[in-house]
Amino acid sequence: MVFEDIYEFYWQKIFRLCMGYVNDSELAQDLAQETFIIVWQQLPKFRNESSIGTWIFRIASNNCLKQIEREKRFTKADLPVNLEEKKQESQEPQIQLLYQFISELPETDRIIISLELEEVKQAEIAGIVGLSESNIRVKIHRIKEKLTKRFKEYGY
Amino acid sequence: MATNIDFKNIWKQQSSQKPNMEELLGRLKKFKRENLRKLIVTNILLIITSIGIGLVWYYYQPQLITTKTGIILVILAMLIFLFAYNKLFMLFYKLDNTQTNTEYLKNLYVVQNKQKFMQTTMMNVYFIMLFAGICLYMYEYTSRMELLYAVLAYAATFVWIGFNWFYLRPKTIKKQETKLNGLIDKFEEINQQLKE
Repeated sequence: MVFEDIYEFYWQKIFRLCMGYVNDSELAQDLAQETFIIVWQQLPKFRNESSIGTWIFRIASNNCLKQIEREKRFTKADLPVNLEEKKQESQEPQIQLLYQFISELPETDRIIISLELEEVKQAEIAGIVGLSESNIRVKIHRIKEKLTKRFKEYGY
Repeated sequence: MATNIDFKNIWKQQSSQKPNMEELLGRLKKFKRENLRKLIVTNILLIITSIGIGLVWYYYQPQLITTKTGIILVILAMLIFLFAYNKLFMLFYKLDNTQTNTEYLKNLYVVQNKQKFMQTTMMNVYFIMLFAGICLYMYEYTSRMELLYAVLAYAATFVWIGFNWFYLRPKTIKKQETKLNGLIDKFEEINQQLKE
């Protein structure tokens, strides 16, 4: 597969995954770019053992998990008062809330629900995260319940 | 509970400007450079120092066994440090990011624990060998000095060693440990999420 096509097809998907994980558009951009840098470097080694989607989502989610290192360095408190969040305020409040709620979930749940919302098949999610399909199904169900509850608290 | 909110639809409305290829490739170069620079600089510095010390042996032909042992200890200290440092770098570098999250987290956790061992144990070994080497090395030259100067030379060395050992070393180790322990705890917690 040609890198340019992959980049074209997956950029938004990967960006959303990263955005769900960190809920900070600048950081999500960085993480997505890093993901594609790794994809670029590793692409010659891709052997079709899994689908290209599974492969790319694995790289992206692992990169998100690894970024805790960075999170530790700039904790939210150090940032100037929510300058970053103000910038997105023009967006639909529902979109903002969804990404905010997801980023507040436990780390692995963030990845699972992001993939589900991206319409990745549950068997594939299982292959990305490394859990059984039934386990994933249960988790998705619980996460959706949690999100619905959060939305209701906000009057939706 | 009725799930009447169309999460998928809301989710998909988020989008971001895709950086162009040039920008991405520019980032790639920077990314590679940053990762390698520190490794290369450390390697070059320590190797140059080792060669420098080796040249001292060659040109000044030390007579006493203490001097020779000292030189060997110092060079060995640096080589061991370099070996461990490079090995750790490779561990991080070779971490396969195309495995499942579960496997990846497990390996990341293992690497991080190795890093912790390196930073404490290896650092101590390095300092001890370096200090012992310097003290042995100095003996031949100080033994030719007047007693007062010899004592002064050793006193100055010990002050310097003491400063390194009792101030710099614990400070560095503590700083690295706080950071690493935080990370290790966090990874443990995430691993736990996957076990539920």
